[in-house]
Amino acid sequence: MEIVTNVQNDAIAAITAAKTTEELRAIELDFLGKTGKLSELMKGIGALPNDQKPLFGAAVNKAKSEVENLLNQKTKNLKTGELTKQFEAERIDITLPGRAPQYGREHVLQTATNKIKRVLGSMGFVYAESPELERFKYNFEGLNYPPDHPAMDEQDTFYVTDDLVLRTQCTALQPRIFETVEPPLRYFTVGRTFRNEAVDRTHNHTFHQVDCFMIDKGISMAHLKGTLGVFARAMFGPEVKVRFRPDFFPFVEPGVDYAISTPKLFNGKWVELGGAGLIHPNILERYDIDTKVYSGFAFGLGVERIPMMAYGIDDLRHFFDNDFRFLSQFA
Amino acid sequence: MKLTYSMIRDFVDTTLDAEAIADQLTMTGFELEEITIVEDEPMLDINIMANRGDGASVLGLSRELLAKVPDSKPTELYAHATNRFPTPDEHNRDIWAKTSVEIQTPNCTRFACRVFENLQNGQSPEWLQQRLRQIGQRPISLLVDLTNYVMFEVGQPLHAYDLDTLNGERIIVRQALDGEKLKTLDGNIHDLKPHHMVIADADRAIGLAGVMGGEETEVSATTTRCLLEAAHFVNTSVRKTRTELGFFTEASYRFERSVDPEGVVAALNRFTELYTEITGEKPVGGVIDVYSTKPEPITLTLFIRRASQLLGMTITVEQAVQYLSKLGFTILGISPDSLEVQAPTWRIDILREEDLVEELGRIHGYELIPEELPIGSTPVGGPHGFELLTDQLREATLRCGFNQVISHSLRDLHPLDAPIVGSLGESGIPESGAPTSHSRILNTTLPSGEGSGEGHSEFPSPSLGRGGGGVDSITPGRIRVRQPHSPEMAYLRNSILPSLADAQRKNNLEDIHLFEVGRIHTESGEVTQIALLSNGKFDQPGWRPSDPTTADFFTLKGSLESIAAATYLPISYKRSTTDARFHPTRQAKIILGQTEVGIMGQIHPTIAEEANLPPTTVMAELTLDGLKSEQFGIPTYHPISRNPASRRDIAILIKKDVPFSEINQTITQSGGPELENHWLFDVYEGQGVPDGSHSLAIALQFRRMNANLNDEESNALRDQIIAALSKLGASLR
Repeated sequence: MEIVTNVQNDAIAAITAAKTTEELRAIELDFLGKTGKLSELMKGIGALPNDQKPLFGAAVNKAKSEVENLLNQKTKNLKTGELTKQFEAERIDITLPGRAPQYGREHVLQTATNKIKRVLGSMGFVYAESPELERFKYNFEGLNYPPDHPAMDEQDTFYVTDDLVLRTQCTALQPRIFETVEPPLRYFTVGRTFRNEAVDRTHNHTFHQVDCFMIDKGISMAHLKGTLGVFARAMFGPEVKVRFRPDFFPFVEPGVDYAISTPKLFNGKWVELGGAGLIHPNILERYDIDTKVYSGFAFGLGVERIPMMAYGIDDLRHFFDNDFRFLSQFA
Repeated sequence: MKLTYSMIRDFVDTTLDAEAIADQLTMTGFELEEITIVEDEPMLDINIMANRGDGASVLGLSRELLAKVPDSKPTELYAHATNRFPTPDEHNRDIWAKTSVEIQTPNCTRFACRVFENLQNGQSPEWLQQRLRQIGQRPISLLVDLTNYVMFEVGQPLHAYDLDTLNGERIIVRQALDGEKLKTLDGNIHDLKPHHMVIADADRAIGLAGVMGGEETEVSATTTRCLLEAAHFVNTSVRKTRTELGFFTEASYRFERSVDPEGVVAALNRFTELYTEITGEKPVGGVIDVYSTKPEPITLTLFIRRASQLLGMTITVEQAVQYLSKLGFTILGISPDSLEVQAPTWRIDILREEDLVEELGRIHGYELIPEELPIGSTPVGGPHGFELLTDQLREATLRCGFNQVISHSLRDLHPLDAPIVGSLGESGIPESGAPTSHSRILNTTLPSGEGSGEGHSEFPSPSLGRGGGGVDSITPGRIRVRQPHSPEMAYLRNSILPSLADAQRKNNLEDIHLFEVGRIHTESGEVTQIALLSNGKFDQPGWRPSDPTTADFFTLKGSLESIAAATYLPISYKRSTTDARFHPTRQAKIILGQTEVGIMGQIHPTIAEEANLPPTTVMAELTLDGLKSEQFGIPTYHPISRNPASRRDIAILIKKDVPFSEINQTITQSGGPELENHWLFDVYEGQGVPDGSHSLAIALQFRRMNANLNDEESNALRDQIIAALSKLGASLR
């Protein structure tokens, strides 16, 4: 029995002296492994008297289990210390810059356009496009412009031929739709428009417009106001209010301009967004839409105005300049 | 239109202050520009709509206020104005001994005048001078000041001539003679054309009708006899003359927007009334009034229920009668559900029932319209078809690391412009000194000829006939605007690549990856393209060592494949040499199905130099019209094997002129159904590889459905592929 105690004491001494988990693993092999010192003791059991055998076996097993417990205990203690050291060695400066995957940056006007498309699309307006270089009849004549209207002057509109102009408004989609689609109908578009204007902070010869319209039975100014309300609140926030003010556009009657107000923008002042109204009956009649049965509304707005208002951008020219110092502020 | 608070109070009895009045006017459609205080008096600057000339007067705006503000009341002066300022001597014939008037042009529909004698044209009284100063008018002399003041009051422009300077002492209204000259009050001399209307005396033009009087006949301090003009001119004629000759005058501002033809004599009377009040003198008795074309009164039926329905708020017959009467409409008949209404002569904008609906709406108040949402059948909104595909392509391109730009359609010519179809040898670009290589182009990169403009979404774009107007004669095949904003903005782009080159240079960055989706314009119409331009490293310079990907032909090719895959467009490439913008041995046509839809490759070094771009620039352009992702089908599902894959790598030696596409195809065909995947992972040439050959390392991945492959089977599959490759001249390395 003494031999068991000696071996166990040797093991305890070794474990106590060990300083690393690596040493402990060596000690484990040395005493508890298949050919370890404690395991080897069992081989001597055959030489013992029969009555001694169970006692000896029990003593060895007890010693083994105690050594094992001690080993586990010590391993646990050492590991904690070692991990602490390791963590210290692996310390990084978390304030160093991150490395982002390189996705492309969306243009700020595209972001605004996408939002417009989501909102109007979800309200059942179908997105359509029509040419930028447009026929006179769709840009002016079909939109109830009287002959000699100042907007048709060469000083205001880019002509390519007498019949082809760079569209001055995305409203030019309307006659094209009325020619080809029977009411009821709901459409919108977002696109470029062109005006022969002097360029400054608030004017550019090219800019983007939304034009949205619908025709159905019994459409009223209240439907226009309701639709604009939903649209404006989706774009600018739930507390936005919409106001109509009389205005004149050849393609609507009654014609209004609409303004929005929210405590979040311009201290709640009314800010004009665009023009709107009921589609002029002259236009409906021109495209054989029965004005006794159908009426429709239309509204437009400048796309650039949306980021200008939302971000306080003070110069319209930035949008076509493609300066990354500008574009990278928004995406 | 400028007016002061006091001028409004002359006509309207109200407790509202200037700001409240401005708010009310804004809500009737006459928007306030600003209120300023001038000489202790609030001055309102009001924006007048193009079809509401009647608003360009204190009287007109007062009428709007009286209709809009329920507790406001008209003053005696307002009532007097409504009665057209009657004077007792109006029908006297004395004036006929002094002068005569003749109208010879249809652009003048009425001309009236009065004559004043024994004048002393001194300074105006201080109250008049102050009122003019407050609205930004410089006091000059009594006669001039009164013409201005009455114009602001009632909206009718007036002009005072020194009668003694009029040859023949008479007036003729006519079109100008060709080459006729006139020196206007501002000292400028104008060469007139027959489409300009003038006021003339017996011998010469003495004023531009509706715009400005002539210098030689203006009233001065020595004037003792005056002819006072009030006339009505056709608005389009005045607008044309004043824009052509570069004028802006208070008179033309009103005539352009149209003036009440029935207010002509009333304005003369108001002038006379004030003149007599100030000087105690009376004019020569009578008015000459030549009224050549009287306007037809417009009578309309207004259905009240329809008006309420269109406005989305209820308006009663009583309210309609009240609003319209206050605005000067004559109610000819009232029934329970409709009104017979005659429009006043100053309202040229009232042409049909809907115009009356607007009148009711704006006076009743648009703020009372509730918010309602339309009901009825609602289509599936948003983009569909081509427009949807364009959105998907744009998203996919962003994911590939390309930054979106948006640039002008109008621009200058550029070395990266698309080659012009069919204008062999004549399509040089003289202005920009483009290379002669441009005229060597044999083919176009874009689908050309008939019908290529027809593919665009729902609507075909208008196409230009060859040689027609707008197709530039200096640069055949290019579309130019007739009156460009500036010479640098004269052409419509026929490629987006020049815009991308500009954006690259603007940002002056070495590592830059750009794209734009937009329209381009050619003789055969307008199409939507996506264009990409790529240069330098894809990763941003970081602080950790790494191996950044650098843009080249293959990064661009890979990006295009990812973009196409995102929209299920099966694109392939075909060797190309003919687009002079690209490196002749590093360019490829992009093929979709069987159709050539674009081109990609490395920039031609000569063009790179001209365009000031790095010669390593790679770029692509792709026409999107006519594409619909669904036309190329949807992805197909393959069951996934649960058994492990086995991989065999091979390295082959093969002549460099064997295209990889052939090797690829051979592997696919010989690998059979067990060849799950294969990829090229090394290309080596140099030591140990014969000249003209290279070594390709290719990974082969095999897998079987529902069964394992053992080593022997995998080897056999590999050997089968090697055997097939040996027919291309490949040997194992």
